[in-house]
Amino acid sequence: MIKTQVLVIGSGPGGYTAAFRAADLGKEVTLIERHESLGGVCLNVGCIPSKSLLHTAEVINETKHASELGITFSKPKIDLKGVIKNKDSIVNKLTGGIQALAKARKVKVINGYAKFLSKNQVTLDGTDEVIEFEQCVISVGSRVTKFPMFPFEDKRVMDSTDALLLDDIPKRMLVVGGGIIGLEMATIYDALGTEITIVELGSQIIPAADKDIVNPLFKKIKKNYANIFLNTKVTSMTALKKGIKVVFEGKDAPKSDTFDKVLVAVGRTPNGILIDADKAGVNFNENGFIETDKQMKTNVENIYAIGDVVGQPMLAHKAVHEAKVAAEVICGKKSGFDALTIPSVAYTDPEVAWTGKTEKELKEAGIEFKKGIFPWAASGRSLSIGRTEGVSKSLFDSKSGKILGMGICGTNAGDLIAEASLAIEMGCDMSDIALTIHAHPTLSETTAFAAEMAEGTITDLMPPRKRK
Amino acid sequence: MPTQKNVDLPDIGDFDAVDIIEVLVKVGDTVNENDSIITLETDKATMEIPAPFSGKVTSLSIKVGDKVVQGDLILTLESESETETDSEVETDSEVETDSEVETDASSDQSDNKVIDNSEATVTSTVSQDNIKQPEEVSLKTDSNSHASPSIRKLARELGVSLSRINGTGKKGRILEKDLKSFVKELVTHGNLNEEVETIPLSRIKKLSGKHLSNCWNTIPHVTQFDEVNIDQLEKFRKHQKEKNIKLSPLVFIMKAVVQVLKRHPNFNASLDEGGENLILKKYFNLGIAVDTPNGLLVPVVKDVSKKSLIELSEELADISLRAREGKLDSSEMKGAGFTISSLGGIGGTQFTPIINSPEVAILGVSRTQIKPIWNGNSFEPTAMIPLALSYDHRVIDGAEGARFMAELNQVLSNIMEMLL
Repeated sequence: MIKTQVLVIGSGPGGYTAAFRAADLGKEVTLIERHESLGGVCLNVGCIPSKSLLHTAEVINETKHASELGITFSKPKIDLKGVIKNKDSIVNKLTGGIQALAKARKVKVINGYAKFLSKNQVTLDGTDEVIEFEQCVISVGSRVTKFPMFPFEDKRVMDSTDALLLDDIPKRMLVVGGGIIGLEMATIYDALGTEITIVELGSQIIPAADKDIVNPLFKKIKKNYANIFLNTKVTSMTALKKGIKVVFEGKDAPKSDTFDKVLVAVGRTPNGILIDADKAGVNFNENGFIETDKQMKTNVENIYAIGDVVGQPMLAHKAVHEAKVAAEVICGKKSGFDALTIPSVAYTDPEVAWTGKTEKELKEAGIEFKKGIFPWAASGRSLSIGRTEGVSKSLFDSKSGKILGMGICGTNAGDLIAEASLAIEMGCDMSDIALTIHAHPTLSETTAFAAEMAEGTITDLMPPRKRK
Repeated sequence: MPTQKNVDLPDIGDFDAVDIIEVLVKVGDTVNENDSIITLETDKATMEIPAPFSGKVTSLSIKVGDKVVQGDLILTLESESETETDSEVETDSEVETDSEVETDASSDQSDNKVIDNSEATVTSTVSQDNIKQPEEVSLKTDSNSHASPSIRKLARELGVSLSRINGTGKKGRILEKDLKSFVKELVTHGNLNEEVETIPLSRIKKLSGKHLSNCWNTIPHVTQFDEVNIDQLEKFRKHQKEKNIKLSPLVFIMKAVVQVLKRHPNFNASLDEGGENLILKKYFNLGIAVDTPNGLLVPVVKDVSKKSLIELSEELADISLRAREGKLDSSEMKGAGFTISSLGGIGGTQFTPIINSPEVAILGVSRTQIKPIWNGNSFEPTAMIPLALSYDHRVIDGAEGARFMAELNQVLSNIMEMLL
């Protein structure tokens, strides 16, 4: 039997962070991972490989438009093996890095599939090995929801993990789900030459974000992709010899169509139940998430849970923050999760990012707000890099002027949103942002411009309200 | 057809106008005869007004906060009748549209009033807020107490709820120094874990407070202490108890006080406003201080000299209960010549009671203790009850005060003397 003070199950960004933080605070830590390499979905089959492929896509797209800059490239030759090799080498570099960090911290890494026996013990599935722990952090993440209506047994019906393997470049691909994952994969396959069709049940792509923030992306892909069917349901999917036949139900969609490949990017299911957390007495809510308090403690005194397994949004950066809280609480620190905002980013082309409250959330909550919208067509930097689309929108409390939220669509929006998140955490006002000198010409200027639009102090455009 | 009858405010004693602090019924309610319909509050007590007959409330003419006098219309009751089915619906819909708004508003106000008047409610409301606020404070957009992540972390570590701190930074932002000075303040006052909150005094406390400070400031108090051997009394009490007659020491003290008051009429008196004449009372009414959830009340037991110990016992139980329930009539709190305040049931060796002006003396009773008393040959365990007599030195001089106490001691320690 192995005995440990702190057991962390799952080595995704949440898991390894919890393990490392607890080790740094003096605990003896054991980390269990079912896969060979550490890093979880994010590093192996999520954020990182997709970003590597998105960079590939970006380079291809840049060359396509290079003629406008007076440079002509010949049509790119795509060596899929090379693309995959580059992606894998990045993934390996990072997962190897985590392995090394674990070793340096003397975190014991065990390969296996943990299953709870009791509130103090897990076993490694398929073995007699029992690990006894004082405290445990469950960070086992989530998995793609395999809806039975989709014939996943056929290799041409993919989930995001399959799609990242890049087995081939299909001619025509359907992406089911117009959310972040579906749109990112569409961006990659589109750049590689696939003809993309997107089907989304909601009335807009990326339903969580404000429509005006998504619009520049929507306009662009609407032009580039074969079709985007909104308000449309997939009612059946059949694997035929010549392709996957998909039946739609929606005003704008045809009755059916056949695609070479289908990517299903709808829904992820938390993994808590797979590790028999119920045997430790851990409570789940009706959606299968493990319930925790603000200190990431479950209903079982010595068991904590973090990341996808405890609820939405299923984002690595949320898991990492929760992981630190859990590890610190385990080590007797008075930590708690009280972040004011968790930013969301779609690494599409252009990118979409938002933080704090969205406009629709504010309207729903009946909060009075002022908004400032700055179109990137007026940004010198954006035009210089050949982009006319893009928009920055900031939302402020009408009374106090405090920033409530921000949404950005445009190149590097995912990086630009950090300023707004900091502003929210620091309680910045409209004027704080407008009066901070932003370097010119940068894309970051657009954040200040959006604040100036709300204030009415903008000079790069006509201010929407009376001048101050 | 059902008949509509008005319910007016009955005679409630000699008050000009009293506040309605609670409306206990709403339109559509069915009330039985004697069910309470409203609560009134005078400067002396709260009282509930009962329904004079049964029926269904069809309209309310008053709301919380109104001042009413005798004869004012309170509500209309529809007396029950057998053939109601048709008309009931009609009546309902007619009245409800108009009066519902009013009823809602008044119940809101009565909620506020409840908080004003009941300390228990206040505390629970406040503590709920305290639990909720830390989570909400940061999300509230109109919050004027923003704190950055590092300040929130520090607050968590110090165990301080940021909602309790007024920020001094720009736009009310909570700064590290605000947090530190808040904690420093708590440390200097030695109640690190205690929260500070401001709650309004109950109405009774506000009123009695004014009266008490007036008494304390205008009357030159002298307090005479003594301890009385009540072995005999206790023996007698025990004996009665075996016969299932429960008598508290207080009723004996009341009897003994009256006995001594008869010999010292200056103590059963009041000083007139100019402070020149003493008004001697020829009757023996004793005020008895009662601790109620809302504050101190002093109901009066009348004609103590004419009542038996058992009668006094019953009357005491009755008025204390009604005092706690806020159901005392204001006339029951008037006309005392002398007051007794007994804290014996709670504890303490002695205290100095404040004279209830215009009376001139008050007796404070503390907890009986068994003490070793020298009986001439040996120390004997003896039940001793501590007494404290505060008197108005303008009326009573020291020797007289001491004599009163000595005689009271004499009567109480030899209960047979009560028969004299």
